[in-house]
Amino acid sequence: MKENDQPLDDIKTIKKIMEQSARFISLSGLSGISAGIIAIAGAVTARIIINGPVIHKWYYSPALDFTEDNRRTIILLLINAAAVLALAVSSAVWFSWRKAGRSGNRIWTPVTGRLLLNLSVPLLAGALFILLTPGRLDGGMIAAATIIFYGLGLVNAAKFTLGEIFWLGIMEIITGLACLVMPGWAFIFWVFGFGILHIAYGVFMYLKYKG
Amino acid sequence: MKELLSNINKAFESRVRLGIMSVLIVNTQADFRTLRDTLEVTDGNLATHLRALEEAGYITSEKRFLNKKPNTVYRITSEGTESFRNHINALEELIKHK
Repeated sequence: MKENDQPLDDIKTIKKIMEQSARFISLSGLSGISAGIIAIAGAVTARIIINGPVIHKWYYSPALDFTEDNRRTIILLLINAAAVLALAVSSAVWFSWRKAGRSGNRIWTPVTGRLLLNLSVPLLAGALFILLTPGRLDGGMIAAATIIFYGLGLVNAAKFTLGEIFWLGIMEIITGLACLVMPGWAFIFWVFGFGILHIAYGVFMYLKYKG
Repeated sequence: MKELLSNINKAFESRVRLGIMSVLIVNTQADFRTLRDTLEVTDGNLATHLRALEEAGYITSEKRFLNKKPNTVYRITSEGTESFRNHINALEELIKHK
C-alpha cells in the first residue's frame, strides 16, 4: 500500500464500520418483490376461501359472518394467513442472507435485533388491537388496521436499516387510512399495500443497490 | 502540510482503534463481544487498544454481569466524540489536498 492512500483507506474503513454497526444494510430488493407476490397470492386465496372460485365484483370486499357454521372457513383463513406470513418472512430472510454472504457482511448483529424489536412492537400492538376490539371489526377495518400498523412498524424500524424503508412505511400508512375511508374496497387496498407497494419498492431497491 | 497533519490524532492511527471509535460514535454503547465480532480481531489485541483509548479519556467502560458471565460495555466520551470528529475532518482535508 502506498503511504498516500492511507487517509482514504482510513475514511473508507470508518464509513464501512459505521454503516455495518448501526444499520442493517443487507436487506435485499428481492425480499420486497417476493413478499409482494406472496401477499397477492395470499389475498386471492383468502378471497376464494370466502366466496368460492367464481367471484362476482371481485374488487369488492367480502363480508364474513363469524358464526358457528363458518368455523371451517375461519380455520382455512388462519392457515392461509400463517402460510403467507411464514413464506414472506422466510423468503425475506433467505434473500437478505444471500446478499449478506455475497457482500461479506454478517446478517445477525446487535442491529438486527434492534431492527426486529422496533418493527415488532407496532405489529404486536396492531394484532392485539384487532383481537381485543370489543364486538367485531368488519373486514375493511381489519385490512386497514393491518396496513396502518405495518406502516408504523416500518417507520419505527427505518432508523436501523436503509432510509427508504421510512418512505415505504409512510406510503403504507396512507394506504391504510385510505382503506379506512373506503372499507368496501379493502381487498384492493390490501393487495396494493402488501403486494404492489412491496414489489415496486423491491424493484426500486434492487436497481438502486444492485441487490 | 504540517498544519494538515497537526489534527491527525496519533491515538487513532491503528486500524483497530479507528474501528472501535467508528462503532462507538454511531451506537450509544457496544459490548466487548460485539466489538470483537465487528472488527474481527483477537481478544488480546482488542483489549490492548480499548485500554489505550480508555486511558486517553476517549471511551469509558462499565463491567456488568450478563447471565452470570462478565460483560464489559463501552461508551464514547464527549471528548472522544470531539477528537474523533477532528480526526475524520483532518483525514478528509488530507485527501482533498493530495
